[in-house]
Amino acid sequence: MEFKDYYQVLGVSKTASADEIKKAYRKLARKFHPDVSKEPEAEQRMQEINEAKAVLSDPEKRLAYDQLAQQYRSGQDFQPPPDWDTGFEFSGRGFEEADLGEFSDFFANLFGQGGRAGRGGRGYQMRGEDRHAKINIDLADAFHGSSRAITLQVPQVDAQGRVVSREHTLNVRIPKGVKAGQHIRLSGQGSPGLGGGPAGDLFLEIHFTPDSQYRVEGRDVYQRVPVTPWEAALGANIEIPTPSGAVKIKVPAGSQTGRRLRLKGRGIPGPEPGDLYVELEVVLPPADTDKARELYKTMADELAFDPRQRRGG
Amino acid sequence: MAQQHIFSGELIDEATLTLEDLARACSVDTDWVVERIESGLLADGSPYVASWRFTSRDLTRARRLCQLERDFEAAPELAALATDLIEENQRLRERLRAAGLFDN
Repeated sequence: MEFKDYYQVLGVSKTASADEIKKAYRKLARKFHPDVSKEPEAEQRMQEINEAKAVLSDPEKRLAYDQLAQQYRSGQDFQPPPDWDTGFEFSGRGFEEADLGEFSDFFANLFGQGGRAGRGGRGYQMRGEDRHAKINIDLADAFHGSSRAITLQVPQVDAQGRVVSREHTLNVRIPKGVKAGQHIRLSGQGSPGLGGGPAGDLFLEIHFTPDSQYRVEGRDVYQRVPVTPWEAALGANIEIPTPSGAVKIKVPAGSQTGRRLRLKGRGIPGPEPGDLYVELEVVLPPADTDKARELYKTMADELAFDPRQRRGG
Repeated sequence: MAQQHIFSGELIDEATLTLEDLARACSVDTDWVVERIESGLLADGSPYVASWRFTSRDLTRARRLCQLERDFEAAPELAALATDLIEENQRLRERLRAAGLFDN
């Protein structure tokens, strides 16, 4: 476990006032808030920032941390000395329980269940925290259902009462018909309970892996399909790949690029299945042979067609 | 050895989570949730507590409100205003992406 320099995380000096810490925190929270931030790894930075603020904005924790920090540098290997927190009474519950799952081992060891809270209160039972994770699935998974292996870091209290993080791999069934933004709840797969209390739940928020072929809105799926000029002009029956398998569609005569065909009920399945929208894109064959150039020339000579004149009305 | 068991979760769709479920998932008291519903900041503001059930969307919104309030010490109304804008922004981005006008 690495020692964390919370002052460095917030970019403040060791003598910063409570007000300076608050200001620095707000500035960084504005910058890295995952909802609005475009910074890489915003979520992880936000966790560090929250953690640093949780310690430095609490006078008792800050004092205890400062004493400990005198002996360590950032990134240095660290084990809390036994009874390092003797003489400190951490009041103010709340974030210890609320955010422990989201904070680092370093924090959890000093201030969390493995620290003081774990040693106090015999016979104290508490349900474990619910945990949250985002997972990316392929669009095809929503059409057919599938199972996905997901790996999570789970904090656990070891025999010495320290918090250690363990990798936990779960195979999760992805139900058919799932939409982006929906949650899957796995009962009892959250943080373990305290004193024999039940474990919390794990909520998985579903997102689709970005796909160059398909775009999704709710349960509707959009897909662009290239067609030849003669298929568009004369009409044709063509076979196209869709997330639910290949289907034959009829391209109406006189189609242009951008024409949208709706295949009802062929979107993501569900109580109200979505639709599949096929957008036609006319692709011109290259004029890279004498034959092709000749055909274009024939069209130019024999078709009275001026697209700019039509647009002008 | 690899674990072969496959966990089947419950899909949170319409009207799945109870008040207690939602509060627990956000690590807040039920009072926190009730206050925000009664002020019209969360869910549909229905006055019938016993029938309150929450969706995936409510869960996402409640967690966002909670984070904004905590991270910025924001008033609930301000957090809700920011959340409205974030949700609107996401809806529009989704529509742009579906229309093929936005590759991000």
